[in-house]
Amino acid sequence: MEKTRLKNWQKMTPVGRLFHTLGIFILKTRMGQLIALFLRTVASLFDKSHNFKSDSRNIILQTFFTGVEIFPPLFAVATLFGTVVIIYLFSLMGKMGFSNNIGFLIVVIIIRELSPIFTAFLIAGRTGSSLTTYIGSMVIDSEVDALATMGINPIRYLVMPSVIGGTIAMIIMNIIFSTSAIGAGYLVTKGIILFTGNAPNLQITWNALSTEIIKALTKPDFVFAIVKPLIFGIIITINACYQALNIKRDIRQVPKATSRSVIMSFLYIVFTDALFLMYFVKDYMQNLSAII
Amino acid sequence: MLDEALRLEDIYLSTNELSGTMFSIPRAVSYFENIRTSKGNDDFQLIAGANLTLKLGETICIAGPSGKGKSAILRLIAGLARPLKGHIYYFGEYIPSERLSALEVAKRQVGYVLQNAALISNLRVVDNIALPLRYHKMGTEDEITKKVNMAMDLMRVRDFAKMFPHELSVGMQKRVAIARSWAMDPKLLLMDEPTAGLDNYNRRNLLPLIDNMRTMFKTSIIIVTHDLMIAKELDCNLVFLHQKKLTEPHSFDYWLHSDSEISKDQFRDLQSVSPNT
Repeated sequence: MEKTRLKNWQKMTPVGRLFHTLGIFILKTRMGQLIALFLRTVASLFDKSHNFKSDSRNIILQTFFTGVEIFPPLFAVATLFGTVVIIYLFSLMGKMGFSNNIGFLIVVIIIRELSPIFTAFLIAGRTGSSLTTYIGSMVIDSEVDALATMGINPIRYLVMPSVIGGTIAMIIMNIIFSTSAIGAGYLVTKGIILFTGNAPNLQITWNALSTEIIKALTKPDFVFAIVKPLIFGIIITINACYQALNIKRDIRQVPKATSRSVIMSFLYIVFTDALFLMYFVKDYMQNLSAII
Repeated sequence: MLDEALRLEDIYLSTNELSGTMFSIPRAVSYFENIRTSKGNDDFQLIAGANLTLKLGETICIAGPSGKGKSAILRLIAGLARPLKGHIYYFGEYIPSERLSALEVAKRQVGYVLQNAALISNLRVVDNIALPLRYHKMGTEDEITKKVNMAMDLMRVRDFAKMFPHELSVGMQKRVAIARSWAMDPKLLLMDEPTAGLDNYNRRNLLPLIDNMRTMFKTSIIIVTHDLMIAKELDCNLVFLHQKKLTEPHSFDYWLHSDSEISKDQFRDLQSVSPNT
């Protein structure tokens, strides 16, 4: 066995050997394994034994599991956050003389940057951790092995529905976060003005706010409102499943893997978000010079 | 070769292979990694140079002291662990160890009853048994229901059809697991401790079922067990895992009367109780 393997090595051309070494090296890193798991998940969509009915049921269950149960905390966070942003922008920017840029700032802060990130954090904390514990305990109870010995591909049965369902829920939740941050945030701001007798000295109407925001919205904003949560959702669920499947038959590894899954998800999300920023950097620079 | 259900040739297995599942890490990496870490290190070797041949329709019991890798051999045959060296033939077909995975083995109709039954905990008993049938689309919904009911009747778990696995006792879970494997029509069935956790009554009910399976469906069966009397009651050959190797298959009576070290270890009490049987 050993000899034949060495023979195969020697058969390779230098270029082939280089690619083989490079491939093994990439696959040994965690990032390489995450990408490999993602590709295998995509490949499992085209498995021969696909059952559309049960698959779609699993996906819908996962979407509800991710989306519905996260809604109350997400709504609260979005509302309060939107309130804070609106009050700060209207009170500070007005004083500094940037009041015609308010709509642009709201779009940048809420819709472009923080809505996907906050949603991703909430979903990583909620769905990512529960996915890791759920699949991790299945690994420990050797249910994953049992699935495999029945010819059921665990990646198709467990990982694929959670990735697709989690990503769909992530996109929907991102839109809900943006709208409730602006809409409910506006209402709460109005409530604060009403209660305090306009102590913060704000002149704010829905008409002005909405026209400002719609004026500031550009085409990339709509594209990124879909693309960002799509990629964040894939990162969160793939990372959670990867950490879970890596557990070595030891029950104490489950909480460790869970916290690792959440923390690593945070890291990857922030990192990817920084990459997304590259697209806008040029735009921001021009804006900045225009202001100055 | 054509009448063989399984053949193991000079199998080496390392302990590294037994931790975790094989689904997180790409197969190529874990394969090369495993060979690298356990090369030249005998401590990692759980099984060294095991040979086994199983004819079609034959039943074999693997016994031996605990902690010596009996279950590991079943995991290896089921494709959940890969050998370092050696060749495995399923029904005369060789699968190289780079390609050996549980899914690949399951395609060749090899069923595996795990030691802890391993039922899917969020599915009811019915759905657990129907899960593989539905996944592989083995027939229409009516046929699947019929098949599941038949399996449940065989293992006498029909009354618990609507229960969740955690509501069942260990023995009952095991019966459900056997029913689940049986419903898939396996050609080779691997059973890990089928009688552990069963009371005498259910044990006595289980053995005729295994007997039926091999006479009616010509299933080849490998049983890993501590319960040596199974071999006598099923009238099948016994293999012992001794010094990291599998011994030759011999009948229960041969082992009982033989003078080898294994018989002295394993059959001491049986020999002293009934010296003349």
